[in-house]
Amino acid sequence: MKQGAVNLRPHDRARAWVIRIILWVILVVTLAPLLYVVSASFSSTDALSSASLIPLHATLANYVNVFSSGFLRWAWNSTEVALVVSAAQLLITSTAAYAYSRLHFLGRKYGLMVLLLLQMFPNSMAVAAIYAVLAQWGLLDRLWMYMLLLIGGSAFNIWLMKGFYDTIPIELDEAARVDGAGHFRILMSVILPLARPMLAVVFFLSMIGYYSEYILAGTVLQSPSNYTLGLGMYNLINTQFAQNWGLFSAASLLSAIPLAVAFGFLNPLMARGLTAGATKG
Amino acid sequence: MSVIASLENGGRDSKVKRRGKIQWSAYGYISPAILTMSVLSFLPMFFTIYISFTNWSQMHFMNYQFVGWKNYVELFSKNNPLSIAFLPTLIWTLVFTFVSTTLNYFVGLILAILVNDKALTEARLYRTLLIIPWAIPALISTLSWQGLLNQNYGPINAFLHLLHIPAIPWLVAPGWAKASVILVNLWLSFPYFMTVSLGALQSIPTEQYDSAAIDGTSAFQRFAYITFPNVWRVSLPLLIPAYAATFNNFNIIFLLTGGGPARASTQFAGYTDILASSSYKIALQFNRYDLSATLSVVLFVMIGVISLINMRFTNAFKGED
Repeated sequence: MKQGAVNLRPHDRARAWVIRIILWVILVVTLAPLLYVVSASFSSTDALSSASLIPLHATLANYVNVFSSGFLRWAWNSTEVALVVSAAQLLITSTAAYAYSRLHFLGRKYGLMVLLLLQMFPNSMAVAAIYAVLAQWGLLDRLWMYMLLLIGGSAFNIWLMKGFYDTIPIELDEAARVDGAGHFRILMSVILPLARPMLAVVFFLSMIGYYSEYILAGTVLQSPSNYTLGLGMYNLINTQFAQNWGLFSAASLLSAIPLAVAFGFLNPLMARGLTAGATKG
Repeated sequence: MSVIASLENGGRDSKVKRRGKIQWSAYGYISPAILTMSVLSFLPMFFTIYISFTNWSQMHFMNYQFVGWKNYVELFSKNNPLSIAFLPTLIWTLVFTFVSTTLNYFVGLILAILVNDKALTEARLYRTLLIIPWAIPALISTLSWQGLLNQNYGPINAFLHLLHIPAIPWLVAPGWAKASVILVNLWLSFPYFMTVSLGALQSIPTEQYDSAAIDGTSAFQRFAYITFPNVWRVSLPLLIPAYAATFNNFNIIFLLTGGGPARASTQFAGYTDILASSSYKIALQFNRYDLSATLSVVLFVMIGVISLINMRFTNAFKGED
């Protein structure tokens, strides 16, 4: 790309400037709202609804207050849920994808399609059934029940993972088989090490997804000590918005920044992982 | 490039595998997935179908009865609060799904083409900055948008006030609320489509462009005959799940507008409620599990038919043997 810059023709340069200006406008429109959130997190409550991006009476009060609002509890609950569920999912999908990629069995041809089709009906559609049944059995408001319910949806990840396994040359399997390895050995010492980037992608994408899960959390969890980040923050902003906006902004930034940084590191991998499954003809 | 090449090899290789013989150990590998999905996803689904034929609600919690097709008849009969909510909600769900996903995809594609331009030396910087909305957990940014768009206290209206534009009822007037939902969803989703399109763009062999240039084609022709078909082929399998995801995008509706503004004629769905969020409200706010389940089953049949047609049409998820 650097070498290309040397021999740019004039009309290339003109085009680059047009693109640049379009992108700058888009960037301002996209990122300015975020700056408002940052600004609100440093503002005192009486400086509300100011159009200025620089807080009038800058204060750290919101950040101090966040820690007495139950935020840490919610953040921990969400982290726990995301870690446990993503790990369980990884185990389930990495083995199932092996079967779909490498083994021959009855139901292989349409099995994954049927699973994907069924999974197009997300858990959210069964909210009534889940709530009614759990209420009858007295199992509402349990964090482990919530985690268990989330583990149920993995078809899309199996499909992503299978797409990636398919890109691993089968000659490697055959070489391992000649050396006397069975399927389990092949999976453990040939496929999984090579699929490590994809495993990271799937793990991280599911984690992000579970951080943002609201519908089942809203169905199952009831007491504030069991709230996930979503439930807690939702209540924060929907009760007395005017007073809590600064607090909410501070909490948003504290929870979003660690994930955003991790995301930044993994993004190049993700771009590859997502299209890998798809490019297969 | 090498990824794509090896992809194609991989695809071909997996077809040459031994046929005919069933490898029983395969069932061992898929059983954890099948088991968890059956118990935790499919069982509740079948139970939903069952509930839709009963009168299970707060009032008949312990002694519910089988009522046959009654709930379905209610759904399609005139002047019933559920049926009043159903049709407009269905139409809005379809409009939202189509408009929002298509818009997100094309904005993502156009941005990908812009930042992929060879003449743009600092393209990496833009790519990184434009991805930021994707990096923030959607739940947190959607809730933040709810605050940003608040009619009385939100900074967006405060900013518009500086330009002497009167406060816009972003989330409280039906039309504006719908526009807000689509715009916020665009903000949330374009980085994903940009990333996917960018991956597709970079996988197009440059020889195709070189030979097209020799043939003296215009920039538009190159886009229409090389860029777009290639990107389309790669992104299509991701586009279909994206439509399904938007169709069920409960979060954006519930966390941004709560389905509101409310309708005067029925309590079961507000102006921005999609079927998924309406079904949730009916179950958890009005405790009508029977009606909620009925709505879900109808939804369920619709998604099933649409996805089946889609899959046949595109062969996206075709399994090979």
